Amino acid sequence: MATAEIRVPTGRSNGKRAGAESHSGVLRLLDAERSEEIFPLLLEEIVALGYPRGLVAEVNFDTGDIAPTAALRWPKQTLAGFNTALWMSEHFLVSVLSTNQPVVLNKTDVHNRPIYIHPILFSSSQPCWEADRLRTGGCLAARNYRKQRRIRLEEQVCATCGMRAYAAAVVVEIPRRLTAQASAELRELIETANRLLSRLYKTEYYYNRMRDMEITIAQMGTVMQSMADPVILTDTQHRVMMQNKAAEHFFKAPDEMTEGLVRAVELNNLLFSATLSSMLVSDGDSHCDLTLVDVIEGEEMLFEAVSAPTFGPDGTQIGTVTVMHDVTELRATDQKLRANFEKLRDAEEMVRQDRDRLNLIIENVGDPIIVCDGDAKIVLVDPLAEELFGVSAGDRRSEVQSRNQTQLAAYVSSFTYSFAERETTPLKLFNPALRQEIEYDARAGKIFDERGQVSYSVTVLRDLTALRRVEQLKIERRMLEIEKFAATGRLAATIAHEVNNPMEAIKNAIYLLAGYIPEGAMPVYNILKSETERVARIVRQMLGLYRNTEQVKPVKVNTIIEDTLLLLNRQLQRANIEVKTDLGTLPDAVIAADQIRQVLSNLVINGKDAMPNGGKLMIRSRHVVGRDEVRGWVRILIADTGTGIPPEMLRTIFEPFVTTKGEKGTGLGLWIVKGIIQNHAGKISVKSKAGKGTVFKIDLPVVKL
Amino acid sequence: MKLVGKNRILVVDDEVHVLITYRLILEQQGYDVTACTTAGEAIEIVERRSFDLVLCDYSLDEQHTGFEVILAARRRDPSVPAALLTGYATKETAEEAGRMNIAVMFKPIEIEEFLLNTSKMLRSGDEPRQETA
Repeated sequence: MATAEIRVPTGRSNGKRAGAESHSGVLRLLDAERSEEIFPLLLEEIVALGYPRGLVAEVNFDTGDIAPTAALRWPKQTLAGFNTALWMSEHFLVSVLSTNQPVVLNKTDVHNRPIYIHPILFSSSQPCWEADRLRTGGCLAARNYRKQRRIRLEEQVCATCGMRAYAAAVVVEIPRRLTAQASAELRELIETANRLLSRLYKTEYYYNRMRDMEITIAQMGTVMQSMADPVILTDTQHRVMMQNKAAEHFFKAPDEMTEGLVRAVELNNLLFSATLSSMLVSDGDSHCDLTLVDVIEGEEMLFEAVSAPTFGPDGTQIGTVTVMHDVTELRATDQKLRANFEKLRDAEEMVRQDRDRLNLIIENVGDPIIVCDGDAKIVLVDPLAEELFGVSAGDRRSEVQSRNQTQLAAYVSSFTYSFAERETTPLKLFNPALRQEIEYDARAGKIFDERGQVSYSVTVLRDLTALRRVEQLKIERRMLEIEKFAATGRLAATIAHEVNNPMEAIKNAIYLLAGYIPEGAMPVYNILKSETERVARIVRQMLGLYRNTEQVKPVKVNTIIEDTLLLLNRQLQRANIEVKTDLGTLPDAVIAADQIRQVLSNLVINGKDAMPNGGKLMIRSRHVVGRDEVRGWVRILIADTGTGIPPEMLRTIFEPFVTTKGEKGTGLGLWIVKGIIQNHAGKISVKSKAGKGTVFKIDLPVVKL
Repeated sequence: MKLVGKNRILVVDDEVHVLITYRLILEQQGYDVTACTTAGEAIEIVERRSFDLVLCDYSLDEQHTGFEVILAARRRDPSVPAALLTGYATKETAEEAGRMNIAVMFKPIEIEEFLLNTSKMLRSGDEPRQETA
């Protein structure tokens, strides 16, 4: 290619061939191997024609500058005058180049002799073979050859091959004597040189393009080889034209040929070919899954193949590029994900079924149920609770339901944020269906998550109406019993009181008669005396209940038990009764000691009387503290192994004049016992089995003064 | 205070037959017994005469109580021992009797016990606190 360098004339320019014909000059030009050799040779031939000196100024199309690039016998000091630029239109070189016509200038600023200027431009009478073959007809050289108008810099690029043109001006000093023949020869010589230059220039351009392409191909090859995914270029017959190393791993038989390897490679090729065909058939779908065998490992690998057609310069398809992406891992992961998803769906289904079952249970419990989350927000209610609170009724909630909801919310939030794990609280709510206020027992429990935070609370409302009714009935019956008991007591006391004075007189009278009874009347007198004493005893017992004269004070119950037993010890021994005591540690009981002593002695004697053939008597004392009680009770158990109380009598055993002792008993002992225990706010109960024995249980409240 | 001879006992009870038997029993023991049936009569007597012991039914005629009689006797002789004879005493009555150093004997009274208490009270005329059985 032409360069901006000014060539120093070589030894060949010594004018040996001065006066030789133009033909020999043309032949010498043909020796030129490179484009840059043309201008020096041309200048030498010009001088050989008899011209004193000459130079060539070339256009640099990159910058638009014009500068001498070759000169022969031209004085160095005037060379500078030929430096110009394309945009300096008044310069004679520029005007010659733009008109593309040779001129003779007799006088110029830069040279004192007339000069001949001949422009040369990349041109050719015929289009180049490339343009010819592509039938574009857009060869720049041909266009330049035909065109006679001004050249323009921006147009000087070939539309077909993209080559940029060259342009230059040959400047020759005209000798004093110039023959017409020499003039024609000069013109001919320059044109011939230009034709040669055009060809060389074009060739060099092709060479450069080829080298560029080789570099590009090498780069592309490197890129292709360095890809981890197999890349294969196939022709239209699906024959492999090119493949990278990754692809060779699957499709090229390795050096070590074993039957298994060969078969694996064959199989892979077959599979690949089939995949390409199917992709071709399913027109447009360039994605396809492809299973290949890893030739070395022998494992199956799953690939996703993506194909794209490749086109030649003329737009026809010349083959297919296929890139295969290893998706084995991806698919495995995908499958795992799918499996997990399935599992999750199954689990969800199970949870759903559980929930349905739970809902079914909740709906059938028959009590209103409310489930709230950790923020005390209602998450679930059963239809009964919905009736009360109208939770899902939204804005259609009635005033009553709103009021209920307010109460519920207050309750649930206080429970949720309390420390209690479960709680039972009475809650009065208005039942819209029954149109009345209902007392509920709100029983709430908490469900905790793994971190111990409340995740849910469940509240079940129990309608206490029925329970309250039963309780009311019980209380009423008990009141009635107490009333009956009191009435009987009052009646008995009244009778006793009325009987008391006459009996006192009778008793005293019998005593006074003691010394005056004849011997024969003594048995009768004795009957009179003992029966009167019996009546006195009855009266005394009946009235005893009302002689509340004793002060209550803290007393050790165990001591009372021991005292009583000591007092009755002889009687019990005589009756052959074994006494066992099991006395626990007790708090002091605030009681009337004498009365409790009477109770114990009544019960012990009852026990003794129930064991006419001897037996065992057991007295046990304990301090019992029930739930919700602070001090609890002193419990005394008195058990015998006697005859027992007939079941039909058990219910009435504490009523007055009920006795199991026949004529011997007054029927008042247990009535008095019960009265005393009740006066102490205590409880007494009896259990008995005929033939086995009887157990009395007394509970006295532990109170503090 | 005690005169030579029989101990004088006043017995008050609105029931005539009861009163008679008490008097007879006490006289059998050699006491000088004065018996009367009404509170008014008894108060009149204690204002005129001194006694070594006053035994008095609690509920007397016309809503009068034995307390009135005993108080009247104590006005004359503040240290005279006294006992209420009753079939029934409220807590308040019993407490009041306790405060006033008046013994309480519940009817029906075992005669042996009655006589024992009586002699005890007479012996310890200065020491009024008595225990009933």
